[in-house]
Order: sequence, then structure tokens, then C-alpha cells
Amino acid sequence: MSNLLEVRDVHTYIGQFHILQGVTVTVPQGTITALLGRNGAGKTTTLKTILGLTPPRQGQVILDGREIQGLRSFDIAALGIGFVPEHRAIFRDLSVAENLAIAERKKGDLARKEDLIYGLFPDLKRLIKLGGDHLSGGQQQMLAIARALVADNKLLLIDEPSEGLAPVLIEQMIAAIHQLSAETTVLLVEQNFVVASQLAQHYVIIEEGRSVKSGNMADLVNDRATIHRYLGAA
Amino acid sequence: MASATGFLPAVRDALNRNRTRIIVLAVLVMLLLMATRGMSAQDWVITLLRGLSVAAVTFLVASGFSLIFGLMDVLNLAHGMLFMLGAYVGWTVYTRPDTAVDVVTPLAWLIAGFMLMPLWGRLLGRVSLPHRVARLWPWLGLLVAVVILALSLSRYPIAMWDPTIYNQSPVVYSLMLDQGQLKMPEPATASAMALALGLGGALIGSALAAASLAGLRHREASGPTTGRLQWGALVVPLVLLVIGLGVYAINEPLTAALFNLDTTWRFLLAVIVATLTGAGLGGLMESTLIRPLYARPIYQLMLTLGLGVIGREVVVALWGRTQITMSAPTLFAGSGKGCPATSVSDWLAKQCSTISFMDARVRTYNEILVILVGVLVLIVIGLLIQRSRLGMIIRAGVQDREMVEALGINVRRVFTLVFAVGVGLAALGGVIAGPAMGLSDDMGESLLLLALIALAIGGLTSFPGAAVGSVLVGVLQQFIIKYGQIGIQLPFLPQPFKPTPPLVPASTVLLMVIILLVMPQGLFGRKE
Repeated sequence: MSNLLEVRDVHTYIGQFHILQGVTVTVPQGTITALLGRNGAGKTTTLKTILGLTPPRQGQVILDGREIQGLRSFDIAALGIGFVPEHRAIFRDLSVAENLAIAERKKGDLARKEDLIYGLFPDLKRLIKLGGDHLSGGQQQMLAIARALVADNKLLLIDEPSEGLAPVLIEQMIAAIHQLSAETTVLLVEQNFVVASQLAQHYVIIEEGRSVKSGNMADLVNDRATIHRYLGAA
Repeated sequence: MASATGFLPAVRDALNRNRTRIIVLAVLVMLLLMATRGMSAQDWVITLLRGLSVAAVTFLVASGFSLIFGLMDVLNLAHGMLFMLGAYVGWTVYTRPDTAVDVVTPLAWLIAGFMLMPLWGRLLGRVSLPHRVARLWPWLGLLVAVVILALSLSRYPIAMWDPTIYNQSPVVYSLMLDQGQLKMPEPATASAMALALGLGGALIGSALAAASLAGLRHREASGPTTGRLQWGALVVPLVLLVIGLGVYAINEPLTAALFNLDTTWRFLLAVIVATLTGAGLGGLMESTLIRPLYARPIYQLMLTLGLGVIGREVVVALWGRTQITMSAPTLFAGSGKGCPATSVSDWLAKQCSTISFMDARVRTYNEILVILVGVLVLIVIGLLIQRSRLGMIIRAGVQDREMVEALGINVRRVFTLVFAVGVGLAALGGVIAGPAMGLSDDMGESLLLLALIALAIGGLTSFPGAAVGSVLVGVLQQFIIKYGQIGIQLPFLPQPFKPTPPLVPASTVLLMVIILLVMPQGLFGRKE
């Protein structure tokens, strides 16, 4: 099994703060990998470092065998990485249709992906003309994920998909992410361990800016001690 | 929350959400209507039109400023200076086309040299220099380049006015044009040697400067470089060189043709040249000076403030400190038999400077053309923002720049483009304002202030806000000026109250204060 993404011992600074102090993550092709850890551990920064939004000062990020650290972030994204930021950051001033259209990298991207997107999120079709500021939390999250699916992406970075959603919606979200992982590889950040354990096959735990443990999710689920030590909750 | 469906609930929803805005606007409209009782109908119409004319110019400055601020968070304090520069460049093309033609050749060669920068960057990527040499040579190169440019360009022959000699000052050329006595001035002459030195120096100097800048940038950049060298990097400079030579070859017939052109067409040319110059300057400013400072807002502020001051001094040095007038083009200047015109077709036939409308004499340039340009820009830029992909990216970028970049969109290129458009609009405002308001070295600052007040009223980053704010500020200002002449009967005052001139700017600031107290984000601002 080959690795689509390898993050090797990256160090990232934000201003003077040494946020990531050695994070190593490997994401095998065609799987879902979850970044776990407490608040402020550096999970979101890891995603942003991969994308070049907060470029690393040390270490390597390798996508499909090619070093991408140091590239400009829009060039990195154009290599085939889709990003679903936390807090459901869709564009409020744009309609649903525009939120999808802006993600096109080639003409006709959206038309080609329509079936996939509306298959996953049938609601979006009904809402297509609405302004982004008229959507509910769950609809916004669907749109944010759909937006990352418009272009041909090999890898999706999803930040906190279940955050602030009602249990019913979380169920839908889990189903949708499972379904789309048939097409793309996923690296996701998830606070909610129950959700993460249902989604991911692999995990990496980040603690105070360092990756401290990684392995198969199936093993972690039974490892009460580790869960308690790094994630707090059981 | 389920969205409201059906027409009536949607309307009720919209009314509820915009309650304060609607009340404020309704109060303002009522005040405007009440003003009809204090003055005659024709005075009211004229004052309103004058207000809209000021509003149109203000809007051209304000909309560009707000586009730039909204997308890039750059408060471009040089915007007023660029507005003024637009007016002066426009004046030059309009009144002294010979100077404009003379400038084209060295300018084209200069730009050609600078456009070699990507090429140098590529080449520098191939050679590795010792650390100390790599640090030092760009600065040395830059110094030498500046000396070469200064020496060569100062020798290049350009026919020009001279603000220190009255007979050859811009004021006199404006007067001559106004009286139809403007003839082609003596062309500047120089030896073939000076010419060759001037052009060669422009090219070599700018190429050296470009190489040095590429060296500076190369030193800072880290990580692998990407992208292929495109042929455009070589073709465009070559084309510019050829254009420069071509214009030089036809310099005299071109100048003569421009002097013989009807002033309406020359004015149109002046508008185009000034707008493009502004856009070019804006793009250049963003890509060279502003871009390294995005992370440092205070430095940015100091930079644009400083550029404003420098630009103003350059204008004073080139065109002089005296106020210059710019005569309206012939289409708007006629005053003989049959004027004022009675209808639009009558005006177009007789080319009158005024047209009667509701017994009032409306000036065709100030109160019709200027307003039309404002409305046109409102529509064009509005459509651009609402309908085009670029507009979509701008609207998205105003909210979340990082996310737009994460979609694989080169936001930097969009920044440069928006900066160019914003400054181009300011320059367009300047040249349009020229014949209506005259040219002076403080026109930029006073208009920037008015535009800032308009934006504070309308909401700093809102495009419709810029329009509404400009209209409010312009109309209010003109009504206060009118009342200064005829007086206004206020309750509890025995005599009509006549606002003194200092109250004119004070009134707009007062309106801003009141609106900001009721709506801290401005009329159309968005809560963060």
C-alpha cells in the first residue's frame, strides 16, 4: 500500500510561536486517517502546514512522491488537495451555486461532479439559489464538503466535520464521508472520538505540537489507557 | 432556521432585517424633500444635480478605495494623489498632446527593461553565488541603475511647458486652448547622440534595476521554484521596444494629428490614457511596494501616506503650484445662438454648454456627463462584482482570503488586478473632474477626505455603500453651499440662517457621526 501523503518531522512557527515541533503523518492511498488530540495540540495547524497556508520552517511534505513544502499555497491546492476548514467556512456573500462554482479549476468541473455532489447531499440541489448566509449549520457543512469535491482532488483535508452539529446530522455526515472516501483519500481532524473511530482506519495523535502515536484505529479503540492519556475522554 | 418561503414572508423578512437602514434612508429622503420648500424648484433641481455630480466623482474615488480595502485590507492613503495624477495626466494629453507623444518612446523602453524581471529571476536560479556577493550585488546594481536612468532620461528631448515662466506655464496653455488659439508648440530637438544615449540608458538602466530587484527577491525566496518561463516574458518587452520606435518614427505627424483632432475626441483619448496610466501605476504599486508589506499594516499605512506626499510634490514640480483650468471639450462648450439647448437632441446638434430643464440651466458637462460616467461605472463595476468569476473571487476574498487560496486560486494575481482597477477608477475620476472642478495640488486630499466620509457612512467595504454614501455626502454638501447663498428659515430663529463655508465640510462629518451612532458599521456595512 503506497502513501499518498507523507509529512516528515515538520516544524511550523506562527509569528514567534513554535506551534508544530516535529509532526510526522503518513496517509495511505485510499484510506481515511484521523488526527486526534486535545484542543490547541496543533491539529488544524498541521492541515494548514500541508496546504502551505502556514508554511513549515523545517521538515518535508510529500504528496505523491513530490516535495511540496515551500510551494505557494494555491499551487499546492491545485496539485489536487481539497480543504474543508473548521467552523464551516463557506462564503456567506456567495450563493450556494457560486460557492460551488468558485471551486472549479477547469471549466466544466462542476458539471462533471454534479451527480456525485447531489448524490451525497441531495438537499443542496434544492438550496442552489439561496445565499450562503441563509443556510443552517448542517447545510453549511454539506456545502463546505461539496465545495472541496468540485475539482479533481486526490486528497481531502477535513477539519472538524461534526463540530456543532446535531446527532442526526452527524450520522449523515459520517455516511457522506464514508461514501466519498471511495473516490478520494481523506485526512481529517476530529475532536469527537466516537465519530473519528467510526470514520477512520488510521490515526495519528498530536500532543503539544508533536505527533506522539499512530497506528490502526481498530487497535486504538480497545486501548483505554492511550485514549485516556491523550484524548482525555474515554 | 428554515428559510422563509413565498413572496410576502420574504418581503417581511427583508423589511425586518433592514429596519434601521430603511428608517435612516427614509429620514434623509424626507429632509431632501423638505428642502423644496426653502427654495425655488429650479434651484432645488440644480442643487440636487450638482450634488449628484460631486457624488459621481466621489464615488469613483470611494469605490476603488473600498474595493482595495475590502479585499486586501490596505488603506491606500495615496488614493487621493492618484486621483490628482489622473487629472494632470489627462490635462497633458488634452492640452499638450506633443508632450504626451514625446514621453511614449522612452517610457515604452523603460517598461520593456523592467519586464525582463522574470527572465532574470530564471537565470539567477541557475547560478549560485557566494553568500556575501549575493547579498551585496543587487544593492550596487540598483544604485548604478538609478544613476544611469537619471543621467540618460534627463537628456532625452521632450517638449514641455515650464511652470516657472508665465508665457509657457500650464495656465497659459489652458487659456490658449480655451480661446481656440492653441497651436503646435516647437518640437524639442536634440542631437542623435543624446537620443541614443537617452533610449539606450533607459533600457539598460531599467534592465539592470530589474535584475537587481530579481536578485533581492531571489535572496529572500526559499524552497523549490516552480513554473515554466513563458514566451510572453520575452515577446512583450520586444513588442514594447518596437512600439517605442514606431511612435518615435511618426512623432511629428502623430502630434499634428492630435492637435487637429476635435477636442471631444482628444478628451476621450485623455480619459483613456489617464485611466490606463492609473491602472498601470496601481498594478505596479501593488506588485512592488505593497506586496512585501501585507503582514505589516502600519508600514503599509506609512508607505501609502508617504507615496501620497511624494506624488503631490512630483505633481507640483512638473505642473507647478498654480491652479490650472481644463476647458470642457467642444461637445459641452458651445454657447452661441440657440443655446441653452431645449432637449438632448438639440444639445447634441448645437453642442451647447447648457441645457434647459424645468426652467433651470443645467450644465451639460458638469451635471450630465459627470453623473453619467458615475452611473456607468456603478453599473459596470457592479456587474463585474456580481456576475463575473473575478467578482465572485473578490466577494469571497473579502470574507476569507485564505480559503480562496486553499481552492487553488492565485489570489495575488487578483490583488494586483483589483489594485489596478481601483487606482484606474480614481484616475478616471480625476480626469473627469478636471473640466468640472479644475486642477490643483490639493484636489486629491480634499476628495480623498470626502470619499472616506462617504465610505464611513456607506460601510467601508460595501460597493453599494460607496455609492449611497457618495450621493449623501455630495448632495448634502451642495445643499449646504446653496443655503449659504440663500439662507434657510429654521424654527426658533428670527432671521434665515446662512451656513458659512467652513460649515460645508463640517456638515458631512456631522452626518457621518449621526449615522455611525445609529449604525456603527455604516449603512451597508457588515457586522464582523
